[in-house]
Amino acid sequence: MKTRWRKIITYCLPVIGAILLTSCAWHGAPMTDPDDIAYAPLCFDPPKAERVELENGIVLYMLEDHELPLVNLSAVIRMGSYYDPPGKEGLAEITGTVMRTGGTESMTGDQIDETLDFLAGSITVSVGTDSCTLSMSVLEKDIDKGLKIFSDILTCPVFSSEKLKTAKILEREALERIHDNPQKIAFREFRRLLYRGDPRGRLSSIESIGKIERDDLLAFYRRFFRPRNVMIALSGDISKRDAIRKIKNNLDAWNVSGGPEPLPSPPSHVRASLNYIYKDTPQSVIVIGQPAPGETSPDYYTFEVLDFITGSGGFRSQIFAEVRNRLGLAYSAGSFYSSRREYGIFGAYAMTKSSSTMKALSSITTILDTIRDRGVESGGELAWAKESIINTFIFSFATPGRIVMRQMMLEFEGLPENFLTRYTDNIETVGLDDLRGVAARYLTGENRIVLILGNKDTFAEPLSSFGDFNTVKTGTDNEGN
Amino acid sequence: MTSGESLHKRTLKYFIISSVIALLLCITLHPCYAYDLANRVKEFTLANGLKVLIVERHISPTVSLYISHDTGAVDEEDGHTGTAHILEHMMFKGTETLGTKNFTEEKRILRKIHGIGNALDIEVMKGETADTQKITNLRKQLETLQQEAGKWSIPSEIDRLYTEKGGGDLNAFTGQDLTSYHVSLPSNRIELWARIESDRMSNPVFREFYSERDVVMEERRQVVESNPGRKLLEQFLAAAFIVHPYRRPVLGWTHDMRFLNIDYTKQFFKTYYSPNNTTIAIVGDVSPDKTMAIIKHYFGKIPPQKIPARSITEEPVQNGERRVKRVFDASPRLIIGYHKPALPSFDDCVFDVIDTILSEGRTSRLFKALVEKGLAVDVNTANGFPGARYPNLFVIFAEPVSPHTCAELEEIIYNELDMLKKEPVTPEELEKAKNQLRADILRTISTNSGLAGMLSYYGAVAGSWKYLTTFQDLLERVTPEDVMTAAKKYLEPRNRTVAELIREKG
Repeated sequence: MKTRWRKIITYCLPVIGAILLTSCAWHGAPMTDPDDIAYAPLCFDPPKAERVELENGIVLYMLEDHELPLVNLSAVIRMGSYYDPPGKEGLAEITGTVMRTGGTESMTGDQIDETLDFLAGSITVSVGTDSCTLSMSVLEKDIDKGLKIFSDILTCPVFSSEKLKTAKILEREALERIHDNPQKIAFREFRRLLYRGDPRGRLSSIESIGKIERDDLLAFYRRFFRPRNVMIALSGDISKRDAIRKIKNNLDAWNVSGGPEPLPSPPSHVRASLNYIYKDTPQSVIVIGQPAPGETSPDYYTFEVLDFITGSGGFRSQIFAEVRNRLGLAYSAGSFYSSRREYGIFGAYAMTKSSSTMKALSSITTILDTIRDRGVESGGELAWAKESIINTFIFSFATPGRIVMRQMMLEFEGLPENFLTRYTDNIETVGLDDLRGVAARYLTGENRIVLILGNKDTFAEPLSSFGDFNTVKTGTDNEGN
Repeated sequence: MTSGESLHKRTLKYFIISSVIALLLCITLHPCYAYDLANRVKEFTLANGLKVLIVERHISPTVSLYISHDTGAVDEEDGHTGTAHILEHMMFKGTETLGTKNFTEEKRILRKIHGIGNALDIEVMKGETADTQKITNLRKQLETLQQEAGKWSIPSEIDRLYTEKGGGDLNAFTGQDLTSYHVSLPSNRIELWARIESDRMSNPVFREFYSERDVVMEERRQVVESNPGRKLLEQFLAAAFIVHPYRRPVLGWTHDMRFLNIDYTKQFFKTYYSPNNTTIAIVGDVSPDKTMAIIKHYFGKIPPQKIPARSITEEPVQNGERRVKRVFDASPRLIIGYHKPALPSFDDCVFDVIDTILSEGRTSRLFKALVEKGLAVDVNTANGFPGARYPNLFVIFAEPVSPHTCAELEEIIYNELDMLKKEPVTPEELEKAKNQLRADILRTISTNSGLAGMLSYYGAVAGSWKYLTTFQDLLERVTPEDVMTAAKKYLEPRNRTVAELIREKG
């Protein structure tokens, strides 16, 4: 899922004054109140990436950065586990892996590895739910060699059977090893519960990996890899002219018809459920979550603020302050909100010693229900959240690499160009009434999924005190649809 | 620059704890990898001994700020393990002017809490002979006092100030060798950082000490007790070192953690967080002159402290393989380690090369022999484990693919190590490793926080950031024969510790 979008644009904070060095003695004497420190204005007009469309339809965003002799390149393709055929879950992931390892029409996988390692360059593929990213980082002197390999992997991978075999063996073992990690099990099963009946909830298993053949990879590749379904972001120690020329040299000849893959439809309706996974572990994992607004929803900005106050805004956010700071029940506790164009997910979590499981659970649900029923009562809390979100926004533009990626992702996700430029203004307008309304609408019990992983025999209060829990059988080898 | 064990990371907004990451130990500036660090680092030392390193970088109006204290878990006395780490947590609890509504009132109650807390610990420590009624009473008193103190305190004020003013990556790390505090800020907010940091370096108030002890116990449950890899690592280190403090976990042993002591923690703070034991590194959109004026103003008056001579027991030579097995209901895994010298020895640098040859990239020797063949799901090596300042370990981590066993992996790994001893690496392979080491550094310093972190790390651990340039010279000198010599000298069975995780229910 996308990470939190932060703003853009001319970043100008109000002019308060120059830096004041007030006198201060060490012990005893009054020190400057940090809230009274005056700051010089911060003006920043972030550089804008240049957008070029190649003749074959590839969209390229680029920005120069001559600080260090490095060039970074990322191609984003609309494909991912969402599109895994039923029964062959894991196909997108394996396709990505073997694209990288299985060689191209001009080089074997081993030759590619040797070349890249000698140049200390890297090419990696990562596959998500509905996007796949092929990234390269090379020294400036090696851009030609790197770009040739990168383009070949993108346009003519051969998916060697031998590398597919290895990839399947490693993937199966990785699935086995999920059982060793309580947090991974819990978040994986949470995903399955949240997206029940939706392709996003179908996860790979030993069985589904076993069914994947080379022909499946070839077909999957052909279904998604075409110029109009690819966008590239490039930044680094290279001039725009050279960059565009080199990209064209390598990719202009790639002609496969077809337009961009449409965005997948939002997930279907979620039904509330209470779920329990048995694992004999000294610390339980609690995850509670439900659907949340997408980025094009008018509620999006309010929800960003709501999530910040509830549990993602650090020590002062409510879940952290209560469950960790006041009660000492957890080291990790908080909330998360991840969003796409059309939908989002909101969740809260805590890891706590087995005996305090029910106490932590009720503490979190009380916070969520209070926010739902009464909103956020303090204007101070709202002001703190807004100021924090707005002031941190500049880090979205901290490096040319981030800027170029952000800009490209806006187009990739089908969001308006001014989405980022208006972000801070939109956060600024969020009021207490908005929070109350949005909290009441989204933090409803009707679609809330609760998941507890642990050993209920060691909880201080019975699990049933919260309601009737379904026992979820986990496993990476017994599911499917 | 961090490893799961040597540097313990605390992130505020995310719950996923980084697992073992190879220790990045080197920097170099080969012509192709040019970045004129030597001329870009401005170095200052205040009268109280505080070292400051500044690099200007005007890419965006942001700045990354690191404070590293030249201390860590190694400086704890036995019985007090976990002190350096809880101290790091306490540093977020505020000061006499940050986080209080009325410090005079609050102080009075904190003193009482402190007395009751100590009395309670003494009683609980008696174990079976403890007076349970007394314990119940003391607990009740403690709870009442904590509620009373809560009326005067303003929780998480430091976090609030940074977050509100645009602070990002607010982090603290406690390692075996050093402790670091990091934040990134919009570049016009440096004075806020100086105000907060100088205050907590002088007048921290250890509020909520006893509930924070519960939090670090949860931290241990989360990152060690429910994590088979970390659990095994703990056993491995305790076996590999007999007496050196590297044998102890940074988080502390469970028993010690239950009785972490506020007086001891305060004394630890006073001694080791002194300005003469601290390096600040600042990278970003700043003016060195203006920044130094702020730093002098805020940090200049903190008095230096006398740092006691460190009486750290040297680890005796290991003469014979040691083996540990840990039972856990999890898939098997393997850790192998060899003792070796610390930086700035030449051999330490040679081990960076060996580390790279064995596990960096898909063409590294162990990756090809184990992962490419489908025998291991993962293999990794780390040089400078679990710390870098004192003689340490070169470590290999591997996880077999079922039904292959740790024993099979061990045999293949030893064959690969024997190859290093028997045949010189080719000039191409050596050059590849050097290229990778140089590029790693370049990528690390490409971000403000990467560069600031590296400068303050070497400033503290190697005595000066200039070790980064010394390293360059050392790396250029490494020959195939050096690799062979070091492999023969250190990668010996008698110098080895092996830890194996055996699957067994409960």
